[in-house]
Amino acid sequence: MNKKIIVITIIGIIGMLFMNACSYGADNTSTANNDKEEDVQKGGKVSIPIVADPTFNPWHPNAYAESNVVNRVLFSSLTKPGKDLAPSPDLAEEWEVSDDELEWTFFLRDDVLWHDGEKFTADDVAYTFNEIVLNEELGANNSSYFGQLNEVEIVDEYTVKFVLESPVAALPAYLGFNTEILPKHIFEGEDPWDLTSFNKENPIGTGAFKLKNYNSGQSVVLERNEDYYGETALLDEVEYKVLGDANTHVAQILTGELSIFALDDLAAIEKIENADGVDVYARDTTRFFWLILNQEIEKYQNKEVRQAILHAIDRQTIIDTVLKGYATIADSGIAPALQQYYTEDVTRIEYDPDLAKELLKEAGWEDSDGDGILDKDGEPFTIDFEIGIQGDLEAVSQMVQQYLEEIGIKVNLNAMEWNTMIQQVVVERDYEMTLNWWRYPADPDLSAYMHSKNVNGNNIPGYKNEELDKLLDAGAQTSDIEERQDIYIEAQQLMAEELPYLFLWYPQEAQVRIDKLKGVPDLSFGDALHYINEWYLEE
Amino acid sequence: MLKFLINRFGQSIILLLIVTVITFFLINLAPGGPSSTMRMDASPEERQAMVEKLGLDQPVIVRYASWLKGAFSGDLGTSFTSNEPVVQRIAERLPYTIELTFFTIIISIIIGIPVGILSAIKRGSVPDHIINFFSVVGLSVPAFWLGLMLILLFSINLGWLPSSGVGARGTDFDLWGWISHLIMPVLILTTTILPNIVRFTRSSMLEVISQNYIRTIRAKGAKESIVIYIHALRNALIPIITIIGVLIPRLLSGAVITEAIFGWTGIGTLILEAARGRDYPLVMGITIVITIVVILCNLIVDIVYSRVDPRVKNV
Repeated sequence: MNKKIIVITIIGIIGMLFMNACSYGADNTSTANNDKEEDVQKGGKVSIPIVADPTFNPWHPNAYAESNVVNRVLFSSLTKPGKDLAPSPDLAEEWEVSDDELEWTFFLRDDVLWHDGEKFTADDVAYTFNEIVLNEELGANNSSYFGQLNEVEIVDEYTVKFVLESPVAALPAYLGFNTEILPKHIFEGEDPWDLTSFNKENPIGTGAFKLKNYNSGQSVVLERNEDYYGETALLDEVEYKVLGDANTHVAQILTGELSIFALDDLAAIEKIENADGVDVYARDTTRFFWLILNQEIEKYQNKEVRQAILHAIDRQTIIDTVLKGYATIADSGIAPALQQYYTEDVTRIEYDPDLAKELLKEAGWEDSDGDGILDKDGEPFTIDFEIGIQGDLEAVSQMVQQYLEEIGIKVNLNAMEWNTMIQQVVVERDYEMTLNWWRYPADPDLSAYMHSKNVNGNNIPGYKNEELDKLLDAGAQTSDIEERQDIYIEAQQLMAEELPYLFLWYPQEAQVRIDKLKGVPDLSFGDALHYINEWYLEE
Repeated sequence: MLKFLINRFGQSIILLLIVTVITFFLINLAPGGPSSTMRMDASPEERQAMVEKLGLDQPVIVRYASWLKGAFSGDLGTSFTSNEPVVQRIAERLPYTIELTFFTIIISIIIGIPVGILSAIKRGSVPDHIINFFSVVGLSVPAFWLGLMLILLFSINLGWLPSSGVGARGTDFDLWGWISHLIMPVLILTTTILPNIVRFTRSSMLEVISQNYIRTIRAKGAKESIVIYIHALRNALIPIITIIGVLIPRLLSGAVITEAIFGWTGIGTLILEAARGRDYPLVMGITIVITIVVILCNLIVDIVYSRVDPRVKNV
């Protein structure tokens, strides 16, 4: 009798548990359905890798790439790249330029609060530019973009005027590229580089997220800024994990410990493409890879020699093998990502080793002694090829070396540590040929890289061409888009023909992302960060 | 003993000085300085401003002298990359490396000495061959490869262990989180020193066991366990202690690779950051700390030595 009661009780309990379990299940499915209907969900955290501790100050000379991805979220700038990359409003609601193109007036939002509750005003903008960017002793990051800026005038509490020495049509684009505004009420009277309490500990920005906590060498955690002036962010938190090793990034996105990043080393791409729950997107960027020949050396001043060397390189094969297809052949420096300005209507330097040899022969280079190496006046054609070791550069350079040797040019490849390369190639200009890339703000003005006035700056090949100078000047001096389109189409045709740089390809970013993460616009990772308030996680 | 310590202290100071001179000049002579670690498109003006700010426009000798002056008063300078005091940056990271090396040494000793003894007393047997085989494998497999393989197995395929990080500390601390982060890095570091301890214990034991006094003790009818653990081991321990002292510096260098793979925020990852960023004061600070650790280890070995072996007198 007793036994029976016990058995019945146990069955009863099990039955209740079972029903409970069922109803739990039912609850779960119904919430899941509801969420799907709502489509966009609030909450959750994304994790982003950075390779070193960041500096929370976009203008600080120590703020490298790892800082940019944090600062872009913590702070805001006057403009930001729109989803078509054209400058669009951020802290500035709209702007206008005077007829002489020397005065730009920016109308600021009046509803912006710093993370500490202070009001953002024109004072902050004027302070950032007048006291930090234009202070030459400080050597602020990116201050070279503002070389033509005389000063920023305060018109009223929410209006500023940028007064220029000479026209800079790209100004709105520059104002959205790692040029975030800093709070005057914290920086005033301080050395902006030595203010460790801000730069390394407790940054105050205006962005969609604010600092929650930071552990050096481990992570930076940001939380949603409920007072953000734009659409309040959907995610609760953004975590940046300090992970120096790129293999770890790959391992962690496969385990779901990371959410999104731009993959540099494409060796692991297939593994990620085949993994469940992780997707790879090819994204256009404003970058171009180049090979340059030092224009101080006479033989490279000859356009035919430059063309011949480019004809000798099978770029498509390099793209397919080393870059796993994540690039398109470049004819000039203006990338297809700049849809408004890019044109395909240029002379393309095709892979044609026979034509390369012919062009070199016309320039006097021929294998007269039959040793397999071209020569001229008894001088063999040898090139010292200096590169820095980073990402795919070494693998690409080895292929370039082989292609050039096939047409009879002896190439001595010298791969060196990155900083050593910067010192030797960029600072001392002690090189013959080198290979690298540029990333630039979303504007076609490439004066910095190929205008003759910048031969001591970032015109690393030391290229001088009056016709190109004129076009670049004209493009910088008008902000009329149609006029600029015509100018830059002509400039692209000239670049493709003259090859100030031997344009190799426009790399595409391999953006790796867990498939639960939605709302990320179809932009490169760095640009998509401007829209992090729209990102959300789908369960 | 006191005289010995004073003597050793004097030697250590000279050694430290030599190390700092060599390191300081080596890093300063390496091509590229902090200004070349700036973004590639930094303008010459931006680079110049940085050089002046960091005082790098002064001659190397002058910079070394002022660095030395600071170092003697306990000020190791300010990190170029973070603007924080070098001492603070090292103090933040050092505990993590100590944690890692501490567990590695403890585990290596607990496993290594018994296994070494087993290998010695069963010399030529199947267990001895198996132990020898794994010792050679452990010594030969590169740490970075093994580390990646472990991550692949335990983090990606099985999903049991976190692939990197040190786990939550402070208020969010949880025991399993801590242990799970420790397992793989400790395992990797252990493989770099465990085989050494096993092999040394084995050869040291073998040598002692063949001594006449051991035969005498056995002849007196002492139990085998007493022969091995009381009489033989005590004498065999002396070279083992030495090798542990020598292995600690090796552990610190092994930690650089292991920490980088597992995102362990110790002194190893810090020295990588410092070297990459041409952060001269930080490189110098870490070098000094590591040199002091090595000197201390050797000193402790010498002292323990005299305790274990009454014949060794430091007085």
